[in-house]
Order: sequence, then C-alpha cells, then structure tokens
Amino acid sequence: MNPEGVTRRRIRFVLFLMAVAVTALVVQLVRVQFGPYAPVFAARAEYGASRVEKVVPARGQIYDRNGNLLASNGTMFYLEIEVRQLTELSRKDIPLTLSKLLLLPLEDLYAEVTTDWAALGQYRIRLTRKDPNGNPWPITVDKTVAEVINGFLADPLAPDLSGLDLVAAPKRIYPAGTIAGHVLGFVNQEGQGFYGVEGYYDEWLSGKPITIHRQFIPLEARLQPDPPAGVNLVLTIDLAVQQMVETALREAIESSLAESGQVIVMDPRNGEILAMAAWPVLDPNHYEPWLPETTEEGKGNPVITPGVAGTYEPGSTFKVVTMAAALDLDRVKPETEFIDTGQIEVGGHIIRNWDGRSWGQQTMVGCLQHSLNVCLAWIAADKLGATDLYAYLNRFGVGQLTGVDLAGEVSGKLRTPRDPDWTEPDMGTNSFGQGVSVTPMQLLTAVSAIANHGEMVQPHIVRQVVGPQGAYWPQPTVLGRPITRQTAETLTTMLAQSLEGETRYAVVPGYRLAGKTGTAQIATEKGYDPKWTVASFVGWGPLPEPRFLVLVRIDKPATAPWGSVIAAPVFQEIAERLVVMLGLPPETTVAQAAVGG
Amino acid sequence: MLLVIVFLVVSGVYLAVNARLAKAGRDVLSLEKQRSELLRVTSELSADLATRTAPETMMARAAALGFHAAQPEDVLFLTVDGYMPPADFVAPRPPSAPDDVQAMLSPAYTETLGEWLMRWFGSPGEAS
Repeated sequence: MNPEGVTRRRIRFVLFLMAVAVTALVVQLVRVQFGPYAPVFAARAEYGASRVEKVVPARGQIYDRNGNLLASNGTMFYLEIEVRQLTELSRKDIPLTLSKLLLLPLEDLYAEVTTDWAALGQYRIRLTRKDPNGNPWPITVDKTVAEVINGFLADPLAPDLSGLDLVAAPKRIYPAGTIAGHVLGFVNQEGQGFYGVEGYYDEWLSGKPITIHRQFIPLEARLQPDPPAGVNLVLTIDLAVQQMVETALREAIESSLAESGQVIVMDPRNGEILAMAAWPVLDPNHYEPWLPETTEEGKGNPVITPGVAGTYEPGSTFKVVTMAAALDLDRVKPETEFIDTGQIEVGGHIIRNWDGRSWGQQTMVGCLQHSLNVCLAWIAADKLGATDLYAYLNRFGVGQLTGVDLAGEVSGKLRTPRDPDWTEPDMGTNSFGQGVSVTPMQLLTAVSAIANHGEMVQPHIVRQVVGPQGAYWPQPTVLGRPITRQTAETLTTMLAQSLEGETRYAVVPGYRLAGKTGTAQIATEKGYDPKWTVASFVGWGPLPEPRFLVLVRIDKPATAPWGSVIAAPVFQEIAERLVVMLGLPPETTVAQAAVGG
Repeated sequence: MLLVIVFLVVSGVYLAVNARLAKAGRDVLSLEKQRSELLRVTSELSADLATRTAPETMMARAAALGFHAAQPEDVLFLTVDGYMPPADFVAPRPPSAPDDVQAMLSPAYTETLGEWLMRWFGSPGEAS
C-alpha cells in the first residue's frame, strides 16, 4: 500500500469521526433547543447564566444647618447559626464565647444553640437576646466585634465556632447620640424610619430599591444602574443651640425634680426650628424600648417627639391669644381698666384667680402681669363673646395641625360652640388656657404671629433637600395673618412691660424681651390633679425685631408649681446664650451703630 | 482552504473580543464592589469624625482646657464694613444617577461582534 493511499484513508477516517461528532453535536443542539425538555434546559441555562439582585440604595444623610452630621450609615452584623454545621464542641463553645464577648446571659445563648432546630424544620437561625420588655431581639455586633469573631473562626487554636456566621446589614448611626433624638426619630433593623424626621421623610431618605439582572455567562461588561438614591437633608436645627437647650432643660428637670419637659426654639420670621429638646431623652442608636410594638398605650410610656405629639392644657401662656383677639377687635386697649373682685361667673360657673385673691383696679397690662384669670374671663365673656373668641382661636390655629414636617403630630382639642359637648363655662376657662389642649408646637406657632408682627409662618425642620439632581430649598409658608401688625406690636410691648414686673427670672440685661408665664393644672379622668402642674413660659426677643421665640414646658415640678419660678429661669438661661450664639448685639450697640457710633 | 483560514481568523477575533469583554466584565464587577466598599468606609469615617466632634465631647474638652460658654457680657460687638457672613452649608449630593453612568460607557464594552462589524463597515456617519 502506497503512503499516499494510507494518508488519504486516515484523512477520511478523521473527517468521518469529525462528521460523526458534528452530527452528534447538531442532534444534541436540536434536542436541547427544540426537544421536549427544551424549556427545562432553557430555565437551567437562565438560572446559571444570570442572577436577579435587589439593590437597595444607601439611606440619605441628615445634617444640621451648619453641616454637622446628625445621621449616617454604617454596617452591623447579625449572628446566625447554620444548624447543620454545628459540632458537639461548637454547641458549647459558641454560647460560652459570645456570653463573654457580648456580656449576655450564658444560659439564654446555650438554650438557643442547643435547641433541636432541625426537628422544627429550621436549619438557619438568628441569635436573639431579650429587650427591656422581655421580647426577643436579634443580636447585632459592630465591626470591631465582628473582626474578633472572624479571627476566632479562622484560628484553629481558638474556640470552636463552627456553624456561627456573621451576616452584614446596613445600620443607621447617630453620631450626636441623644442630642436631637426626638427630632430625628430612628430607623429600625429593616430600614424603616419611625417618628421625627426619619419617619416623616422616610420615603425620601430611603430612596427606591431596584431589581437588576446580572448576566454571568457571558459576563457582561456593563455598569449596572444605581438605584435612585435617598436624598440628603439639611435641618434648620443648629446643633450647638440644640445641645445648649438640652443641657438647660436637663438641669431644670433635675433641679425641680420634674417628670418631663420640652423646649422649642423657633425663628419667628421664617418658622425655622433652631432647637427642639425633650426629656426623657431618646437615644436613636438604642431605640428598642421606643418601638411601637414594644410600647403599650396608657402605661405611662413617654411620648416620642412630644413637641408635636404631647398635648397639654397651656394655662396662662394662652392668655396672650385671648388678649390679642380683644386688642385686634379694638374691644380693649392697654390702658383699659378692669376692677378685679377675685371672681367672675361665666355660664353659671365661678372662675377665680390663681391665688384666690382680688387684685382691685387693673389695666390690661396689669391683667397680664398678674396673670388674672378673672380679667381674661371677663374679656372673653363681656368683650368678645363666644363667636369672636372662637373665630380668633381658629385663626391662630388652635385645635389644628401646624403641618410641621415631623411625624406623629397631633392636633390637640378645642371644643367650640358647634360641638355638642361645648358649654358656656368653656368660654371662660378657655380664655386662660384651661379646658383646651394644645401641643407645644401649636402654641408656639400661634404666639409666633404676635412675635412676627402679625404674620404666622408654618414651623418647619428641613432647610434643604439635596438629591442627585441638585439642592432644593423649601420656602417658608405663611399660615395666615390672624391679627394686624399694630395689634402684634401693641401686645408685644404690653408683654415686655408685664414681664419686667411679673418675674425677674426672665430678664437679660441689655436686651428687651417679651413673654408670659403659665401654670396649668393637669386634667385627669377624675378632674384636675390636685397636686401637680405644668409650669411653662413662652417668650421672644430681642425687641423690636425678634430673632428667637422660645417655649419652655416643665411637667410636674416638685420643688415649686409656678411657671415664673420653674420655667422662666430656663428661658432666661437660654436667651442669654442665644443672643451670643446667634450674634445678636445689645440695644446700646444697635443704637450706636444706627447713629454711626 | 481559504474558507478555513477565514473561519479561523474570524473565530480568533471573536474569541479575543470575548476574552477582553469577559475581563472588562470582571473589572467592572470588582470596581463596583470596590466603590460600594469605599462608600461604606467613607460613611463610617464621616460618622466616626462626627462622633468625635459631637457637642458634648467638644464641650467637655473645652471645659477641661479652661474655657467656658460665653455670656453676653463677655462679648464685644464691632461693626466691620464689608464683612460677608459665611455662605450657607450645602449638603453633598447622593451617589450619581444611572443615566450619567450609562452615558460615560463606551459602546465597545456593550456591543456584539456583529454590531461592532456593522459599526466599522457601516456608513461613515455611523462610525465612531
């Protein structure tokens, strides 16, 4: 056989084998593509070649007005157990190690790890601890502890932690701790915002998760789209002012042995909230006791963001609203005289002064200075009448939501002649702030009309919203003009005069301030509490162009019941610091600058 | 024979393009992971810095150094002509929008061989 013939036969043989192989491939291709199992193959290919992922954007950050970070994002780790990977040794070592590392009860951890989860059909569990109310709560650890545990897992000489797994998850961080906690609210482990700014702006802050299709075979060389990010927020809060106000409130609560309290500082010109403090404080980094499912109504749990959610009867601070209505309708003037006999009958109900005394001849300034209930009830019943009184209360927004951008705002309660349970004596008691409930924010908003020359601006907490497209500055919203400019300025002058005579605790040398004290009884189901009061103060300054408006509310002080003794000094302390922090010069400096001195 | 050579050349080009594509894909995945890690680290560092400069901490440090909060009588106000107060703080923008990312990506990273050939041998106006 010649070599050429052998070569040709070999080539034919190889070609034949190749043809068989190609034919087999084609047959298989047709079977896979079009055979009865084609959908199964297609599904398997799809599953192996790509993956569907849900991408959650980072939650937006929150800053104070000067750029101090109030809320940011970090990472936490859940501790999970892969039940089938547990060994005899790791069942003992995991509880022992974690109880020492995290200072948790050993017996609780041991019980969790040694439970026969497989018999219950569970093969992966998340370790929990008990919260203050006894409810199970997932154990989370920070980055440092996670590194220690990972070190143990990698070290063959370390305790046997087989089956323990660390699962990373986003975590909200509040660098300022308890400061502004009630303003911010908090975010739970599922990323949902509750209360305050976190609750109100939850959808904006959290952005919009998207689902992406990530191709692996062939590998895509494509940047996946980012999910629409959550916006960053800049608040009207000034962190330094907030810290100062919280310190003043805490000291007042401690010295008066009070139960709780709130302070709000607002710029009356534009409704910006510069500070909003509440006691007891809320630490948004450790929010578990405040979660809705762990709190039970009616069991004395503190209200979250009480500045907008905690109602009370305002007492004498409310008298400025009644007086504003009477002045605006020209029914009284500052010098109008009233003979105080110590009591007055309104609708068959006898109203007396706070001290039971009769104060004789008084002007309207004297009525405010001595905080005479009888005088204000006389104004309401004899000078205004129910129609005008409630029309003005309505214009001041009493019993209505202010619309402040904080979650959980409530409207308070005001009975008017339209309500079936309204009675004529209500008109008398309402005139001096009893029988009507408001939130601190609501009262502050009403009084802002007096401080801001008659114009009532909606309070707000967000100053700037920054999204991927740029920054947006919400503009102040005017809620209305319940009284004229002249009335507002007249009443402010009256309150400045009366304040100087009423209490020496609310005066700042070099600055003219206006304000009103309040001492309110606390309504209970069985009538008014005979022992406890709410001591409050609302004041503003410096006159004639106020830059701050402050409301102080102290609940159930034990050392003295009076607003002039308990709440006015807090206002004084805050006002003294505010004029420095806001850079407000005293009257003499302003006068010198005006004449070029 | 020529057909075989052409087939081999085209196959080689196809393989080379796909290999580059796969490498670019790996790089993209790696860079995406790196970016998210950097964002996370930046966020944690910002929070850490904010914690260290929180008002209570700074007040305690200031008090330890002998400072006290200024009272009105401690402050002297001066009128300075032409003084401009500092501009309002503007928060940084959150991560960029998806449209911007897509606009930055060259078509060389997303098109198929056929699309590349079409682009290359297509009308002069279409070539890039």
